[in-house]
Amino acid sequence: MNEQGISRRQVLHIGAATLASSALSDVLAGPAKAYAATAGAGGPLYFARFGVDETLIRGALAAALSKGGDYADLYFQHRVGSSFMLEDGSVNRAFKSVELGVGVRVVKGDQVGYGFTEDLTREALQQAALTAAAIADGPSGAPPERFHVSDPKASRYAVKLRWDDVRPEQKLPILNQLNERTFAADPRVKKVSISFNDEASVILIADSTGRIVEDFQPMTSCYLGCVAEQNGAREQGAYNVAGREDLSFYSEDRLTRMVKEAVARTTILFEAVPAPAGEMPVVMAAGSSGILLHEAIGHGMEADFNRKGTSIYSDKIGKPVAKPFVSIIDEGTQPGARGALNVDDEGNEVGKTMLVQDGVLTTYLHDNISAKHYGVKPTGNGRRESYQYAPMPRMRSTYMLPGPHKKDEIIASVKHGIYATNFTNGQVNIGAGDFTFYVKNGWLIEDGKLTRPVKDVNIIGNGPKVLEQIDMVSDDLAIDEGGWTCGKDGQGVPVSQGLPTVRVASITVGGRSGAKRG
Amino acid sequence: MSKASQELYEVAQQAVDLALKKGASAAAARAAKSRDVEVRWRDGKVEQIQESTTRGVSLALYVDGRYAAVSSSDLRKEALETFIGDSIVMTRSLAVDPHRTLPDPALYAGRQEIDLQLEDPAYLTVSAEKRRTLAKEMEDAARAVKGADAILSVSSGFNDNRTESVRIASNGFSGDSVGTTFFIGAEVAVKDADGRRPSDSSFAGVRFVGELPSAAEHGRIAAERALSRLGAKKTESKALTMVLDNRAAGRLVGALAGPLSGQALQQKRSFFEGKLGQPIGSKLLHLTDDPFVRKGFGSRLFDGEGLAARQRVVFEDGVLHTYFIDTYYGKKLGLAPTTGGMSNLSWRLGERSKEQLIKDAGEAIYVTGFIGGNSNATTGDYSLGVQGFMIRGGTVAEPVAEMNIAGNQLELWKQLVAVGNDPYPFSTLRTPTLVFDGVSFAGL
Repeated sequence: MNEQGISRRQVLHIGAATLASSALSDVLAGPAKAYAATAGAGGPLYFARFGVDETLIRGALAAALSKGGDYADLYFQHRVGSSFMLEDGSVNRAFKSVELGVGVRVVKGDQVGYGFTEDLTREALQQAALTAAAIADGPSGAPPERFHVSDPKASRYAVKLRWDDVRPEQKLPILNQLNERTFAADPRVKKVSISFNDEASVILIADSTGRIVEDFQPMTSCYLGCVAEQNGAREQGAYNVAGREDLSFYSEDRLTRMVKEAVARTTILFEAVPAPAGEMPVVMAAGSSGILLHEAIGHGMEADFNRKGTSIYSDKIGKPVAKPFVSIIDEGTQPGARGALNVDDEGNEVGKTMLVQDGVLTTYLHDNISAKHYGVKPTGNGRRESYQYAPMPRMRSTYMLPGPHKKDEIIASVKHGIYATNFTNGQVNIGAGDFTFYVKNGWLIEDGKLTRPVKDVNIIGNGPKVLEQIDMVSDDLAIDEGGWTCGKDGQGVPVSQGLPTVRVASITVGGRSGAKRG
Repeated sequence: MSKASQELYEVAQQAVDLALKKGASAAAARAAKSRDVEVRWRDGKVEQIQESTTRGVSLALYVDGRYAAVSSSDLRKEALETFIGDSIVMTRSLAVDPHRTLPDPALYAGRQEIDLQLEDPAYLTVSAEKRRTLAKEMEDAARAVKGADAILSVSSGFNDNRTESVRIASNGFSGDSVGTTFFIGAEVAVKDADGRRPSDSSFAGVRFVGELPSAAEHGRIAAERALSRLGAKKTESKALTMVLDNRAAGRLVGALAGPLSGQALQQKRSFFEGKLGQPIGSKLLHLTDDPFVRKGFGSRLFDGEGLAARQRVVFEDGVLHTYFIDTYYGKKLGLAPTTGGMSNLSWRLGERSKEQLIKDAGEAIYVTGFIGGNSNATTGDYSLGVQGFMIRGGTVAEPVAEMNIAGNQLELWKQLVAVGNDPYPFSTLRTPTLVFDGVSFAGL
């Protein structure tokens, strides 16, 4: 259960349970109509979209608190997802899903009761609330008399055109262009596959303190994969971009970069030699190498594990864990980032959280339950995959601040090691601290120079030990534009990550023991 | 063997009828309803309860030679009509794909009429109290083991599910399935002298609640496994024999499913291309895709497209016999469809137990779990994090962690030198303990 992973998700929400209901047909017929019906003075925007009103919400919260819970919240969500796919030269399949539902959570101390329904009638909502209420066993509490709308103070992904208003004819040229350009880029390319995914999600949170919070959350991602052949050998590679953006995200620059990177990352594999096995220095390239932080420290800093005493970082707040030039942040404020949020899924503000400041472990990532446990303010890390799940502490965008060294200086400092540039997935055991990340592309470093490419090698280390081993940090921080999805306890949430060029003095490279060592 | 409800039949039929009425030339619908209940217990009390029922319909649409798949949970007629109408408009924006059709109805025929015993009639009699009691029993047993002072936390839980589904296709398919599952599990975290907090777990799942094994036994095993991780360290990088525990072996076998698929073959992303009829592994690599395992988690009478389920030998004495080909990629490849997905994998079992295999291995690493890593479906290269124990003189010795294995699948399966008698029963990949020679381990 304590094994958390991250992977590049190629397809969004195709297999997910997909739901629609009474409000759906109106919304699909025209979002403008749904807004027009609701834009009262200062009132909630989305009551009509969900077909609810204050009376219905108050009734559900009354049922939720009927057994004496400390706190209850309702999480309404309407998410329309679509996916177009290109294979063998044409966009020949599409997938569409609609999810509409409400989750009811009741909290008693650190205990949680949860129920959800896709039927937004009064009766179904009451039933879900009573299911959740059963976590408590005491005298009934009172629902709020009045509600106040607490609009998100931030606007980090204000899109001009919402994805549920974009016609297929506006997306198809992007896939067709990417396909043609990828084949044109290199005659060794034999197959191209593309998936173009987008979603428009509306959430409305109402809680037992009387607070109502709403947010509109767009997302898009595009995956470009190719297979190349050379002298009878075959290799596959890919590039992928994602963000809380609209159609303008797919600029000429970005499309050009996607094609260039997908082809380069694939064809260089023909030159690659097997990676060596054993402990050696590893230089992490700027950008998606943030996967190191996600696995080595990010999950271990999620406060649910720490309040339970099961993280390797339990009891380490205030203690030095890395060199003084190492500072690590988790935040959701980068405009348009995949991990950006205006509010978290408990309705809390989202800002910047310092995990490590100047080498000292500073702050855990909190949801409401852990914040109460530790007597601190929530950090805006309470997140969930959908209304079907209770929230828990999760990362947003995790990265390291720039340091005092230079990239060239770092590579030149390594006699025998690996330079890791591109990754597909990672995993961590929270308590033991052991973590991995899978290097799809990288280089051998020999006598301070990048010599031969390497491929397909897993790297494994232990979180606190590896933090101590970070002995050089460059000034070239980059946040990856790729579509990372973090999995924890069966729930996937979109995240971002970044890193400047960093040297890990020693870590185990999982190559083949027969291969030349460094 | 009970049938799915009439209501689901009506939903699926209605979806197909609406699709045809709105302009689809063919359609297939799957209507499903699923109830899920979970109790999580931690350190002496309930941590979380969750209960829900979801239902929905998914639909494959064939419109003017084009294809899309969509899903919705709004089952009222008017809403479904709008949704399907919009979806058909979307489908018309796509490119024509001549390979996209419903399956050949001849492949629907010959469906077995056997009771796979997938549904427990006692499902609804499971009480909230029973769930809590079993979860508590697991914790109590975990805390009763020798060395329990080192335990930091015990999490346990009970999950049960009942899912019924109906599939109807416009070219003459109709079928349903009903199944229940019950899972128990415990995870124990312990404190190590060096500050690490390793954990391990034990899980069990069954189709019939009365067949659940002793919860206390699984609590005890989880605690003993976690305590056995104390002091784990990496060891030197070298090639060694690997004894792979049956609870972990599914990860390796599962990596074969992708490259055996029609899509991987047609898209040139499979190291199995051109290998049908050729030796892939040692003679011990011998397994069958068996949809008819009674009470199996992958058991079925028809597959996801409606093709009548059949037993198929995948590897026989090391030789590859079957690809997993669905209708679409079969047409693209010019091959007859088999099935688009595995059901249950049944191995030809060996004579020896895990204990005997460990004893016979002499000097080896006993791998009990994987962490991260990946396997490249195009080339067969793999690199996977592992943990487990050293085997010295045929005896399980000190724990190892932070290690990795790497190589190529086409070499690995030739190094398979022994297969245990102990298929892992709680998964569709019913893999026994496996022994491989000369595996490349990376550590120090």
